[in-house]
Amino acid sequence: MPTRFQLARSVALFVAALVVVPAVQAQRLLIPMDDAQTNHLKAYGLTYNAMKTGAQSEWLLNYRGGAFLLPDTPELRRRAALDGIATEPLSDATLAGVRREMAGGNMESVPLEKAPRIAVYTPPDAQPWDDAVTLALKYAGIEFTAIYDEQVEQGELTKYDWLHLHHEDFTGQFNKFHLGYRDAPWFREAVARNAGAARRLGFASVPALKKAVSERIRQFVERGGFLFAMCGATETLEMAIAGRDVDLAGEFADGSPMDPDADARMQWSRSLAFKDAHLEHSPFVNAMSDIDGHQVNVPGRRQPLGTFTLFNFSAKFDPVPSMLVQNHRAVLSDYYGVTTSFTKATLKSGDVVLATEEGAPWVKYIHGDYGKGTWTYLGGHDPEDPQHAIGNPHTDLSLHTSSPGYRLILNNVLFPAAKKKPLKT
Amino acid sequence: MPVVGHVALMSLTLSLLLSRAETGRAQETDSPVVQRALMLENSGKHREAAQLFRSALGAMPNAGALLGLERAYAELGMSDSLLAPLDSLIARDPREPLYRSVQLRTLQMLRRDDRLRVAFERWVRDAPRDPAPYREYARMLLQLGRSSSADSIVQRGRLALGGARDLEYETAQLRAAQGQWRASAEAWRRALPDAPHLASAAAYALAPTPANARDTIRAIFLGRPAEPGARSALAELELTWGRPRDAWDALRSLAPDTIAARLWGDFGERAFGEERYVIARDALAASLRVSPSRSLSLVAAAAALRAGAPAEVFTLLPLADARAGADSARDAREVVPLHVEALAALRRPADAEAMVERYDRHVAPGQRVRLARALATAWVQSGDIARARIALRAAGEDADSSEAAGWLALYEGRLDAARALLKGTRETGTDLSLAFGILSRTRGDAAPELGAAFLALARGDSSSAAAQLVAAAARHQDAASAILAAAARLLATAGTGEGAVALWQRIVTQYPESPEAAESELEWARALRRRGDVAGAIAHLEHLILSAPASALLPQARHELELARAAGSPP
Repeated sequence: MPTRFQLARSVALFVAALVVVPAVQAQRLLIPMDDAQTNHLKAYGLTYNAMKTGAQSEWLLNYRGGAFLLPDTPELRRRAALDGIATEPLSDATLAGVRREMAGGNMESVPLEKAPRIAVYTPPDAQPWDDAVTLALKYAGIEFTAIYDEQVEQGELTKYDWLHLHHEDFTGQFNKFHLGYRDAPWFREAVARNAGAARRLGFASVPALKKAVSERIRQFVERGGFLFAMCGATETLEMAIAGRDVDLAGEFADGSPMDPDADARMQWSRSLAFKDAHLEHSPFVNAMSDIDGHQVNVPGRRQPLGTFTLFNFSAKFDPVPSMLVQNHRAVLSDYYGVTTSFTKATLKSGDVVLATEEGAPWVKYIHGDYGKGTWTYLGGHDPEDPQHAIGNPHTDLSLHTSSPGYRLILNNVLFPAAKKKPLKT
Repeated sequence: MPVVGHVALMSLTLSLLLSRAETGRAQETDSPVVQRALMLENSGKHREAAQLFRSALGAMPNAGALLGLERAYAELGMSDSLLAPLDSLIARDPREPLYRSVQLRTLQMLRRDDRLRVAFERWVRDAPRDPAPYREYARMLLQLGRSSSADSIVQRGRLALGGARDLEYETAQLRAAQGQWRASAEAWRRALPDAPHLASAAAYALAPTPANARDTIRAIFLGRPAEPGARSALAELELTWGRPRDAWDALRSLAPDTIAARLWGDFGERAFGEERYVIARDALAASLRVSPSRSLSLVAAAAALRAGAPAEVFTLLPLADARAGADSARDAREVVPLHVEALAALRRPADAEAMVERYDRHVAPGQRVRLARALATAWVQSGDIARARIALRAAGEDADSSEAAGWLALYEGRLDAARALLKGTRETGTDLSLAFGILSRTRGDAAPELGAAFLALARGDSSSAAAQLVAAAARHQDAASAILAAAARLLATAGTGEGAVALWQRIVTQYPESPEAAESELEWARALRRRGDVAGAIAHLEHLILSAPASALLPQARHELELARAAGSPP
């Protein structure tokens, strides 16, 4: 039986605990995104899912690598601890100091309002090596819906705010992989699957189907959608949109040779990012056009990989490009893809260049507005696998938790959530 | 996506093999001038070497001079200077494949694609029935990542030569580069009977085969007749894919001849080096049945001992009959220690002791201590600590300060002596880790109950050892969690999963602040996942991560949490 003293001590401890607990919990939780962060990629998932539950969230552009500010709740602390995400509790006074510091420098706080609804355009039987974005979203714990031609043609794009395209060839030529892989089972299956879909949807050929899908995507952006594309999808989507009325595909794809006047007949005014590109007419050369600077699959033209540098935008005046380049590294190693980079000569004048290789005639990362929406293109296939080859095992992101390249992908996922501010420059 | 990596590396390997073959050929005809040039080349004087190689080539065309000139010009960045002499050599002897190969190589290096193609076409025209031009050119194209062009050349070669027999190697590499694993394996299967030395190349090319296509590869290489090249390639592949037992299965059904015996012997030694003792014993025993060899017998016996089959030591490595003039000193040095260890493992300490006495006069002092330790171990394992101590004492003072004496101290529960004597041990093993884990956490000297537990373990009775450890935990509260964790490990290893789970549970609930709590919770979660209780596993992994944020096990726990979540999510 406890003594009176013991009882009194227990009561005192209980009362003390009641007083102390609220003080232990800070008002806000800072998710640093500089080198203090232990898992940058999961931090995006934490923020996205916090937003989804209605938590008041902010993106502190250029502050500590593009930190996030979330409410300090037990559940968020728990999620962060489980995922190995570094967090720092901030009291009101400390937060006021942070805001003062941000006001005096090239920094800005952007409220994150609503978690975007995400769709990834990917075939139902995508190979694990196919898509870095799918890998990033899955690893970060961000929900998405996989859609493909049939859903796009059924008008399902209207259900989403954000659409990602990765490895698709929108000219309908299967990235010209018939040159090296015509007998590979996965290639044969891809051809059969696409041909079947074209038939079911009433198109004469796969190139015709892909052009129709491209047009739907163009309309999605025009009406206010956010488009993010990587690798070969960037170049071929533009070609399909600009070449709506041109036979872009070789005989092996649609039974008729490519239009010999294709270059002259392209309507680049319809496209989002590129202009005046020269198309590759030979069905035996594994390239699509001169939009790609590196031409990785054309031995005589292949350019070596270098490094690319992210531009430092004014966070207060250019918040959108600022969001897209938030990173804890400014210089990143380059990586190949079917389309690795974008030649400067083919960029439209309104394109915003987000990252470039010094002294090279190409850029790596671009962004722009189109109608009421925006598009962002990132060259290359997998930021952590520079020489990525077909059949390679997919990148294990638990080994690259702070990948600066994958951060660029995830910046794009969060940026549609930002409360819109007009572009000031 | 670029196709780089293994194709390029394979081609490089092949080029190296090729250049080695050519170098060998060159050495046969090296003139004094060429030898002087080689010396200059070796000392880095490439310009002077090039002059001598060139004059040697002018005086008498020979492979050594040509290859030397090729290397020297490459070092000097003057490879284009090689083209004119090559044109002259080819005009003089249009069918010599070496000149043509060097010409193609040089043009490739200079990236003169048009001239490369012309040179190939001329070679084909001058030697229409020769497979060499198709081979060389296809390999080069593969090296450049131009698999479709290489494919065209191979197809053309097939038509021109009336079959694919001479181009199987190129076809195999080509198909592998294209990810056509089945077609590649079939071509390798056809190529390997004539060129078993390419088994490693085949294994290298096929190593990236995705898991779902590997059974097809296996079926092709295991098809009858069992042929050494194909089986050898498959064995290497299985090792690469992490299936050593299947690797041995691929080899074991070869007909027992000297070639198979060599493959089995090599495989067995490799398996021994990788500590796969059961497979090593099987492979070495198979090899010995065809080609007896003392050195292989020693490895085989050691493998049998480590594989837990001590009785086989006596058949794999019999002691020679002294009356037949056997070398007793050599036996004492090489064979007797293995026999004594085997007898110890078989709980026949008296026989082991008799053997040591029989060879005593041939035994060196250092070796005597080693044998005494083995004997002491044998007595311990049969439960006779007193005889173990006598055996150890017989080996002299050195033995008293040995690891074996440390073990005896531990079995007797004299913890201070055990700590001091085992501290400097070079031994490794599960028992030792267990002992150190507990010795470092317990305080005080006398602990007969712990000694009894370790003695039970030495006798191979892990259930009894675990029970005694659990009993000892009650008396050593300062180290209770460590002792219980050791008991749990023993039970888990012995396959008594339920008992182990109960102990992990006890550690997590009764000693949540102990260093063993995180490990126990991780093991508990794993056990739940094995039972199919994914939700339970997730709850424990989350609890571990949240309750032990500084634990070194956190990365592993997070990884397993991801796996458990993926397994538990609806399809």
